[in-house]
Amino acid sequence: YPFSVEGDAIKVYVRVRPPSEGTALTDGDQGLCLSVLSSNTIRLHSKPEPKIFTFDYVANMDTTQESVFSTVAKNIVESCMNGYNGTIFAYGQTGSGKTFTMMGPSDSDNFTHSLRGVIPRSFEYLFFLIEREKEKAGSGKSFLCKCSFIEIYNEQIFDLLDSASAGLFLREHIKKGVFVDGAVEQVLSSAAEAYQVLTMGWRNRRVASTSMNRESSRSHAVFTITVESMEKNNEVVNIRSSLLNLVDLAGSERQKDTHTEGLRLKEAGNINRSLSCLGQVITALVDVGNGKQRHICYRDSKLTFLLRDSLGGNAKTCIIANVHPGSRCFGETLSTLNFAQRAKLIKNKAVVNEDTQGNVN
Amino acid sequence: MAAAGDWWAEACDKFRSARTLSAVESRKDPESEPYRSKYSARALLQEVKQQLSAAEEGGEARLLAVRRAVLEYELGVNHTDTEELSAGEEHLQRCTQLLQPHRLSPDCVSLYIQAQNNLGILWSERDEIKTAQTYLESAEALYNQYMKEDGNPPLDPSEHFMSEEEKLTDQERSKRFEKAYTHTLYYLAQIYQHLEMTEKAAQYCHTTLKRQLEYCGYYPVEWALNAATLSQYYLSKQCFMESRHCLAAASVIFSQAGQVPSAEDNENEQDQQDLRQRKAEIARCWIKYCLNLLQSARKLLEDDIGEMDSFRQMQLKAQRKKQEDENENDRKKAVLFGTSDICDSVLAMEEKVSSVYPLDFQEAREIFLVGQNYVQEAKEFFQVDGYVTDHIEIVQDHSALFKVLAFFEEDYERRCKMHKRRIDMLEPICADLNPQYYLLISRQLQFELAETYYEMMDLKVSIGNRLEGLDSHTIKKVNSLAQLAIKYYELFLDSLRDPDKVFPAELDEDVLRPAMVAKFHIARLYSKLITSDSKKQLENMQTSLEYYTFLIDYCEKHPDAVRVVETELELSKEMVGLLPTRMERLRAKLGPFV
Repeated sequence: YPFSVEGDAIKVYVRVRPPSEGTALTDGDQGLCLSVLSSNTIRLHSKPEPKIFTFDYVANMDTTQESVFSTVAKNIVESCMNGYNGTIFAYGQTGSGKTFTMMGPSDSDNFTHSLRGVIPRSFEYLFFLIEREKEKAGSGKSFLCKCSFIEIYNEQIFDLLDSASAGLFLREHIKKGVFVDGAVEQVLSSAAEAYQVLTMGWRNRRVASTSMNRESSRSHAVFTITVESMEKNNEVVNIRSSLLNLVDLAGSERQKDTHTEGLRLKEAGNINRSLSCLGQVITALVDVGNGKQRHICYRDSKLTFLLRDSLGGNAKTCIIANVHPGSRCFGETLSTLNFAQRAKLIKNKAVVNEDTQGNVN
Repeated sequence: MAAAGDWWAEACDKFRSARTLSAVESRKDPESEPYRSKYSARALLQEVKQQLSAAEEGGEARLLAVRRAVLEYELGVNHTDTEELSAGEEHLQRCTQLLQPHRLSPDCVSLYIQAQNNLGILWSERDEIKTAQTYLESAEALYNQYMKEDGNPPLDPSEHFMSEEEKLTDQERSKRFEKAYTHTLYYLAQIYQHLEMTEKAAQYCHTTLKRQLEYCGYYPVEWALNAATLSQYYLSKQCFMESRHCLAAASVIFSQAGQVPSAEDNENEQDQQDLRQRKAEIARCWIKYCLNLLQSARKLLEDDIGEMDSFRQMQLKAQRKKQEDENENDRKKAVLFGTSDICDSVLAMEEKVSSVYPLDFQEAREIFLVGQNYVQEAKEFFQVDGYVTDHIEIVQDHSALFKVLAFFEEDYERRCKMHKRRIDMLEPICADLNPQYYLLISRQLQFELAETYYEMMDLKVSIGNRLEGLDSHTIKKVNSLAQLAIKYYELFLDSLRDPDKVFPAELDEDVLRPAMVAKFHIARLYSKLITSDSKKQLENMQTSLEYYTFLIDYCEKHPDAVRVVETELELSKEMVGLLPTRMERLRAKLGPFV
């Protein structure tokens, strides 16, 4: 079995988008709140002291889509072929370039567009690798690719490949791990087909946002490709399966509502009887408990549950943190960089219970 | 006079409309104009305020001041709701200034407390948690003082703009007043948590829960989950009495939620499903309760090789007789949930399981059985098909319950059977589990299985030694247990290898100790394997030596590792000193052919 390489921390990439046309650059650097110092450091012009952040990679404004793909995603797609699960997250405030990075220019459904993003390029590369592998192995090896595309909004799961469905559930299987029960799985035979499915689902997402008054920036979208390979070797059949998750997270500015980071008191609604945040306070108290056996009744959001393996599990994971350099975005940019900094610390935590008493004698 | 009456009726009307706009209408505002209703409400309030100033002459000063304070309060809340904090603060400050002299009188106390609550929220939004704290603590103090000196149900702020016939009943007044105070405590719970005053935060959470129950301001499921979660806080503090009380109350209140109308449509089915999950969650909190109580008792009772210390056991039994319940009753009054009805049910629930440390097998068994029942209950919902992680966690708890019960068991044969039960529940899961998705759990299971086989082997050896020595049947048994222990330790160690099957040169901190222990135990196991074949014995000794040497070499290369495996390292060094001589002797015995 493929196991995760020890100490495989989540890789974090930061990409700085160019400021929107007609704004910043006219007044020179004054309008920018950051500068890229090297290919892995960034300086945020905070007061009184500027702040330096270090990441695995920092992409400047003029970095090409091709270069982002090859530094960020190539490696993950390759590991996926080797049986690892891989996940690519895009994180950042609305307007920071997440969609551009992941999909490409928003007005084009064109798979061959020169500015296409990480996702279409990953498709191309994945199918390129599959073809190459098939040629090498001859008839002994076959591949099956399937995909699903879901949206998590308000802690509910919707199937973007089946707009009629609503409210799907997350379940676990002892062999297959976490999966969305009832999600449509579409078989893929080429990169172009994958892209077609993706854009179709993406359109569903936008349709949904108007018909149900959902704002797309408040929902997370998860596109998952399952790659199954079957190899026959003298009657011995070897099946290997891995997942590639491409995740477009909700705009980070929306996270404020759910994260308890600030010191704000949660108000008790005047009409609602519920003192809604009491549970959170209590949960936080229990979390302090040190190594003692305990059970906490409410935790895991749907997203973290679905991507449990990708966040500190047995997978190759990277986060692309997108930031807007404009000084007006200073607060959001700072919080995105802080988030990205924290994400670097997430590691595969394999704690093993051990009875320390009575064994040494 | 009629004119004066007219304007007052009109003012009351406007006030009422403003409140409806704020509380009800505003929820329907479009996203593009989120504060539309709030702004309309504000306009109305300001009109009333002007009318009030115009009517000033002739009016009674105190009455006017209080009415004005009510308006300032409403305006203050309105401004903070619409993110105009400084303006909000001004209004709220004016409100408290106007009320300052009258704050202890029944027509003002509730308003004053609510103004302080809102100032607390306001300052917390400015990240000035200490300032927020002073407002909230002074609200708390005012409540206590009022209840001590007066205690009659005070006027609700809205009543200042109501006609005589609309005024509230004493019961309603009291309900609203107590609710405002509950909010004070609820905010304070958050403040103390932010300030990392954990114990105090827990106490305020507890009181908030208690008051929700007393004044019927709760949803049963939510309340029960909160209480169950709080029990887990008490567990981590080893406060078993409090923990049990929270759990008993959670179970009792939860049963109220079960009495919802029966399932008809899909949505209801979903609700039922949720309800079943919540019930299973509470069961899991009970499991942890039983487990912790048993484990803590074990810690108290065990000697330095992990066996029952019978002297300590006697001591604790004598101690318990002496202080039976003495101080517990005092402590109990402070934490009791519920009014008489609920309280009786909670106490009945509590009687089903002890909250004092079990000191012998019989007592331990009773707690074990309660825990085991909850294991069954939790498993009914968390089935392996669909809830792999949760299901396995419950099975692991079940295994842990058996493990700690075995400590209290004096008979080694029966103890061995308990461990066998653990094996039977863990082994099939471990075999089925796909480590590609469940690496962590998979490792935990492998390690636990290894340790259990190891333990069983030791027990079999002890049993054999007590009898006339090891017969061939026992030897076979011991060897097979040792082999199985080795197998699982090796599986665990293999899980650390990279895709090219190479063992890491440097172990991660989180697997360092278990990996070293696994190596150490494998070394011991090889030296314990019993065989009459000297050549085989020599091979085993050689393998044993290699594993001990691994430990020593690793620690030499990574001095940081030493502190984690000090004892094991020392013993390994000793063995590496002894083994070669023993092997030499064995070789000599075997003669020149080896």
